[in-house]
Amino acid sequence: MNPRSLLLNAYVYAVLAFILLPIFIILPMAFSETTYLTFPPQGVTLRWFEEFFGDSRWMAATWFSAKIAALTAITTAVVGTMATYALVRGARTMGTIFQAFLIGPIVVPHIALAVALYLFFQNTGLSGTVFGYVAAHSIIAMPFTVFTVAAALSSVDPALEDAAMSCGANRFNAFRLITLPIILPNVISGGLFAFIISFDEPVIAFFLAGIRDKTLPRMMFDDIEQNLTPIIPAIAVLLTVLSIVVLLAAALLKYLADRNSTAREET
Amino acid sequence: MSQTVSSNNKGASIEIDRLAKTFGSVRAVDDVSLTIEPGEFVALLGPSGSGKSTVLMSVAGFERPSAGRIMIGGKDCTRLPPNKRDIGMVFQHYTLFPHLSVGDNVAFPLKMRGVAKAERRRQAEAALEIVRLGGYGDRMPKQLSGGQQQRVALARAIVYNPQVLLMDEPLSALDKNLREEMQIEIKRLHAELGFTVVFVTHDQGEALTMADRIAILKAGRLQQVSPARELYERPSNLFAASFIGEMNMLPVQWDGANATFSEREHIRLPDSASIETVPSGRAVLAVRPERLSVTSPGETGSWRATVSDVVYAGAGSLLITHLHDGSEVRLRVASAGQAPVRPGQAIGIKVPPEAALLYPADAAR
Repeated sequence: MNPRSLLLNAYVYAVLAFILLPIFIILPMAFSETTYLTFPPQGVTLRWFEEFFGDSRWMAATWFSAKIAALTAITTAVVGTMATYALVRGARTMGTIFQAFLIGPIVVPHIALAVALYLFFQNTGLSGTVFGYVAAHSIIAMPFTVFTVAAALSSVDPALEDAAMSCGANRFNAFRLITLPIILPNVISGGLFAFIISFDEPVIAFFLAGIRDKTLPRMMFDDIEQNLTPIIPAIAVLLTVLSIVVLLAAALLKYLADRNSTAREET
Repeated sequence: MSQTVSSNNKGASIEIDRLAKTFGSVRAVDDVSLTIEPGEFVALLGPSGSGKSTVLMSVAGFERPSAGRIMIGGKDCTRLPPNKRDIGMVFQHYTLFPHLSVGDNVAFPLKMRGVAKAERRRQAEAALEIVRLGGYGDRMPKQLSGGQQQRVALARAIVYNPQVLLMDEPLSALDKNLREEMQIEIKRLHAELGFTVVFVTHDQGEALTMADRIAILKAGRLQQVSPARELYERPSNLFAASFIGEMNMLPVQWDGANATFSEREHIRLPDSASIETVPSGRAVLAVRPERLSVTSPGETGSWRATVSDVVYAGAGSLLITHLHDGSEVRLRVASAGQAPVRPGQAIGIKVPPEAALLYPADAAR
């Protein structure tokens, strides 16, 4: 290996380390025996995980977040797919405008969105409601779903639906039986991304939280302010594992879809 | 007109009545009327942008006409969606459903018509047999070659015995050998099954060999609808004359009986040379290169010309010659038994009067 590529390799690993180091620091801290956050951690215990799973307040927040994330995933998958279909297949001029609206939340700072939603939801009584969270999270997750579905949809020949219609299918069945099954792995991936984005979303949760129901990230903020025990890194580890599992699931889905399209029979 | 309809004449008639389609300010189809007989094979031929595909898509129901009517089997289909027209259709790029097996692709139209599963399988396999792909039902489309995929598409289009089969440049994505094989295949199916075929192509050879009648379109307007032979031998206007095959075109002065050109040449033409009445004055004389022959220069009734190029091509040779005024005349002659002709040589060109056609000059382009 010549010195140049050696230097390049070193650089790449340095960047990787910089990205991954926080995760590796948080990991041992979650197992610390001390009752306060400290580095380096001392001893090894599963106490903080037990505490998390045994505490009804933490569990309530987790289920509340899971419920919102699941509904957000379904909402973005359905609405995102419909919107993407209109963008990819529909009229060009209006399409550009709608695309800007759909993609916009990526560029707009979440804090700006959160403040706007806070004011709006205060007046409409949506603050702290499941509907309010799902609506807000769907807005910020939508661009990711749209990108994922658009990637699949733009590679599907529009003439396939024409062919289906010439075979006697109406327009909806042409989509349901032909286009949708082809893009379904990406639709589900888009939904999974939305789930992850919603599940550990902190900024909007901070503004919209009600008195009773809190999402998991909001609970963590409150806990940091009061206790700062290693339960926080323990939850962070769990969230990281969840993200990895979901992303792996999305990748597996893609792999299975590719493999199935070479050998599948109607059931 | 040669109708290759088999014993069971089960095609439907198609009536295109004053069809027009505008996209913004573009008139893609302009007042096209065409009646297609049950079981007839009609090719829509034209350069790109001639509106031939738009006409087909209007018959299929994918384009909504701006004006005019489409009747299939005597029924007004103008506002009917494609799935209610009971047509079979083959598209340019196969358009097989990639997530379904070959058998399920072919069975799809049956499924849409509520046919039970076992019966679907049986009929799909029968349709695959017809296109010589029996036993391929369990494969996935991407495991097949382009030619096989297009045959599956054909099987899918005919599986429920439609009365009308529409084809949008179905062979243009195939290589030459496959294309010729598929041409024969489609002709055979048409003869066996007797459905009405509307076939869009930009390949004149394909149109001439396959269709009972050929409809030529240019800039959205119908130019001529004729059987192949009539189209080739008596094209009805200058566009049709130049679009099909090779044609020599010479500007002439016409006095009602004689055409004068190249300053000193003239030809006396029978009345049959004019497809429509040609007024005296400027006109265009058209003659196919293979109808001309070489004689010695100065022979009575022959045109004087100078050979500028000889292109030997096996069975035939192409002679490119120029008349006195510089206008080009091409001859296609048999290579065998021909006295060798060299560039620069003066020759006489013999023109059988019945081979020449006369068109009004202002109709050009």
